[in-house]
Amino acid sequence: MKKLFAILAACILALSSVLTAYAADGKVTYSGNAGQFVFEPGTDHSLTDLFPNFKGVMPGDTLTQKITVKNDADHQVKVKIYMRSLGAHEGSEEFLSQMGLRVTKSEENTMEYMFLAAAHETAQLTDWVCLGTLYSGGEVNLDVTLFVPAEMGNEFQSRIGYLDWEFMVEEFPVEDDDPKPPDKTGDNSHMEWIFAIMILALCMLIILFAWRKKEKQNKENAA
Amino acid sequence: MGKIKIKIAVVALVAAMMALISTSTLAYYSTVGKATNVVTSGSIQFIIHEMTDQGTEFPREGVYIVPGDVVSKKVSIESDCDHPFYLRVKMIYGVNSQELSSEDCFKLNIDEEHWVLHDGWYYYTGIVNPGETTPDVFSHVEIVGSKVDSSYIGKTLTLTVKAQAVQSENNPIIDGNTYTAFGWPAE
Repeated sequence: MKKLFAILAACILALSSVLTAYAADGKVTYSGNAGQFVFEPGTDHSLTDLFPNFKGVMPGDTLTQKITVKNDADHQVKVKIYMRSLGAHEGSEEFLSQMGLRVTKSEENTMEYMFLAAAHETAQLTDWVCLGTLYSGGEVNLDVTLFVPAEMGNEFQSRIGYLDWEFMVEEFPVEDDDPKPPDKTGDNSHMEWIFAIMILALCMLIILFAWRKKEKQNKENAA
Repeated sequence: MGKIKIKIAVVALVAAMMALISTSTLAYYSTVGKATNVVTSGSIQFIIHEMTDQGTEFPREGVYIVPGDVVSKKVSIESDCDHPFYLRVKMIYGVNSQELSSEDCFKLNIDEEHWVLHDGWYYYTGIVNPGETTPDVFSHVEIVGSKVDSSYIGKTLTLTVKAQAVQSENNPIIDGNTYTAFGWPAE
């Protein structure tokens, strides 16, 4: 009973940690059918908020936010996904200018960083920056790091800063020489073995018929 | 005439092929979406509680005293924010008379186990975590009979508790002394 309880507890713990991790991530999903983006998780401050980890920040904090950008369109198209910053809203500049922001691509580390500047600026993201070409189901991960200086003063307690980012997709048809999507997962039927067994069975049937025919002929000859 | 027709056909065919090639590299269409991201800053907030032995709030209008009285006044500080902090308190004495002094009129039973005097401030030796309340800074105030003589009759003596806090996150201290924390506000 104790063992069962321990296993159940471990499962619940594992599930809760997964849920927590999921809740803390930002997600940008391009839904091709609807022709629009879905931004998650959103917060009380903004339905399209990608920064759930950047709440109640304190002087000296260094916080990271993972954001996954995903192409959820069908297999007929591939998309190029771009992003840019529109900067801070009016009234948010003073607060956000206190902090530094860095944006990096976490998987394709071809760039050291895409953005590194004060949080209110548009800097390297003033123009569209291509995050990559994504086939259906493809995704790219961004690591966003917020640096809050220890010297940030009392006047910035309980402040709110709004920062707009835009994402854009361009759809392209999938071409013949494009990489093919991987086979369905979970399909372990091994068709080549089935064909081999079928051919072997057919050969055995042919041999059997031939042998029986020959035997019948021998009997007739003997009679 | 026949050659021209062939040429036209060839040109048309090439144009059609080029069109086919070029359409395969043009985007179908584009879509733009905007995310409004939000950064909020935290804060340090606390509540000063002034209670009596009976568990009631110490009366705001004060109490009548005579020399030698011991008044029940329990002072503690409760966290009212989501962040831990260091804390210090200072007692300020006063009297509504130019000629009189409030110096040495009060004697407080400071909890010196949890509160350490440094440069006129009593520093809480620990961290006040979210939802926690500190031990009482003091619980009784004695009106010093040898100091409060008949010249104080009809006068008002005041005891004000002033508290300040500074975040403990990202704020290391030296040798466990909370007064070494960075960022204590100016007095």
